[in-house]
Amino acid sequence: MNEAKVAVIRGKGVFTTDGDLQQPKIVEMIQRGLQILTGSRDAQEGLGQIFLKNDRVGIKINTIGGRKISTRPELSLSLADVLIKGGLPDKNILIWDRTNRELKEAGYRLASNSNGLKIFATDSNGAGYETEIVSHLNIGSLFSTIQTNFVTASISLAILKDHGLAGVTAGMKNYYGAIHNPNKYHDTRCNPYIAELFDANPIKKKHRLSILDGLIVQYNRGPSYHAQWAEPCGVLIFSRDAPAADSVGWQIIEKLRAKKGLPSLKEDKREPAYLMTAEKMGLGRSGADKIQIIEDEV
Amino acid sequence: MERRQFFKTLAGSSLLLSSSGAGFLSDLFAFQETANLSRVEARYYKKLPDREIECQLCPRNCRLGDKERGYCGVRENIGGTYYTLVYGKACAANVDPIEKKPFFHFLPNTTAFSIATAGCNVNCKFCQNWQISQVRAEQVRPFDLPPQDVVANALRYNCPSISYTYTEPVVFFEYMYDTSLEARKKGIKNCVVTAGHFKREPLLDLVKVVDAIKVDLKAFNQDFYTNYVRGELQPVLETIKTIRQSKVWLELVYLVIPTLNDNTEEIRQMSQWIKNEIGPDVPLHFSRFHPMYLIQNLPPTPVSTLEKIRDVALGEGLHYVYIGNVPGHRAESTFCPRCQKMIIERVGFEVKKIEIEGGNCKFCGNAIPGIWA
Repeated sequence: MNEAKVAVIRGKGVFTTDGDLQQPKIVEMIQRGLQILTGSRDAQEGLGQIFLKNDRVGIKINTIGGRKISTRPELSLSLADVLIKGGLPDKNILIWDRTNRELKEAGYRLASNSNGLKIFATDSNGAGYETEIVSHLNIGSLFSTIQTNFVTASISLAILKDHGLAGVTAGMKNYYGAIHNPNKYHDTRCNPYIAELFDANPIKKKHRLSILDGLIVQYNRGPSYHAQWAEPCGVLIFSRDAPAADSVGWQIIEKLRAKKGLPSLKEDKREPAYLMTAEKMGLGRSGADKIQIIEDEV
Repeated sequence: MERRQFFKTLAGSSLLLSSSGAGFLSDLFAFQETANLSRVEARYYKKLPDREIECQLCPRNCRLGDKERGYCGVRENIGGTYYTLVYGKACAANVDPIEKKPFFHFLPNTTAFSIATAGCNVNCKFCQNWQISQVRAEQVRPFDLPPQDVVANALRYNCPSISYTYTEPVVFFEYMYDTSLEARKKGIKNCVVTAGHFKREPLLDLVKVVDAIKVDLKAFNQDFYTNYVRGELQPVLETIKTIRQSKVWLELVYLVIPTLNDNTEEIRQMSQWIKNEIGPDVPLHFSRFHPMYLIQNLPPTPVSTLEKIRDVALGEGLHYVYIGNVPGHRAESTFCPRCQKMIIERVGFEVKKIEIEGGNCKFCGNAIPGIWA
């Protein structure tokens, strides 16, 4: 397996003095991340390496945490904007998650126009879950028809958080929101479930890109929001190798924990074991020595 | 740029569209505004610092942060308070023969008004009701059926009992408990069909308000519970003992799955445990497996296997050992352990004949344990 490439982009001044996000800066960060990741002249050319012109792209976001700690609309809409400017038709782009309630609580306005960008959840009438179980290793789940039917190419646009069981929740665990029974996969620190779910065909065959939202990182007592342990880092992480992206996210959490005098996840017995499982399964890279990290600031 | 300004800009560039926009998808994806969920505070949980909670209802002890859902999928921490999302939200309600549960020594030849909500605290790979048990609260279309209405329906359909069944009643404990109290006021009995994955405190409360509990003992080894149930055996055994020590009528069901839990030596050990720990009079039902849910690669249990296993249990001294899911089999019927005469004749869920009077065998007068009226 080749070395994985991960781009870590810091947005200088991405937050205003009021703590709001600077949308043009986010667009710039995304463009730079895609450019570095693909080694292209610009983001538009880079997108051509990742997507086909007629792909229907699902941007799977994570809105379980409510307004304070979900994938921000400013980020996912900026990503959609970059994709559209890169030549993907807006009608072929869908920002989605499990429930419309969670989308709305995280600040999204639902949209289903057939000719434009779509924002809706699996629990929308007409969407829902498949009726046939996908049984794969320890996974037995119904997948969202958004992932199975609408989407031909998938981006996991996940918020980077500490997780009380898995250690880290990021791009791979984000796909728990693509199945009907995520509650059944939290035993034994979510391992091997996170890796095995990712390995299931509806995910593995469609996943093209992980982007981790590290603009504000919940580095302790996640996945719920706790203001005292949420750090504005102003970072986005890009990789086509899902375990590698999560591994880099994990290291960011570890650095924050060390800085704040907290035990490491390993010391806390919450080392994200799913990453090692994912690598063993050939899903990508998890060790620091096998990941090429390219950092940049815009 | 402020959030409002940003959305305004995007809306102008057609990135954000109103959900009432034109086009066929607008009709197709008419957005569901709210799921029909309850928000009734759960019982049996501990509040922890930082809006976390620990559920004390079942041995999983789910520790959950704000907005997190338990393993069962129907209980949620909202801002540091734990809620049941399925109180009064039945997803199934039927009038069933009591023999379907199966209860064979509890009000035979009667019907039970039977209810369930979504959710389960285990994940059996052979679940026959997985479409309602292995889903989250919002993934079924429940109807509002508060405790008083459950009781009213039981009366309306002349059911002398209410059965909490189909999924796993422990996950709708509050609903079951309150309904049981209401039922008792009207002289209706309560029976529970469970996998027995309870903690002791709620179980001790439950046995005060129900009349019969049937426990599905899935196997007699932990490996099976780990691999095929995603649960623990020992708490189930403790549940069985606790029920037996109470005044509640107890029956056991063991679904026999070819090659997975049909080892005769293990059945022997289980039968010995039953005899020693809870006595030989607790009815034990060996049920036939059919391919289901995540186990589709095994054949239905051969009847000969069921018969062999039943012989093992009888040989160990258990008095009432039945075979289930084999309609018409002689071992569906009840035989007096003293005179060996058939005292309840069953064919499938139908009771053909009852030869018990005042709780005694009509032929020899032997006391037959159970709740007969």
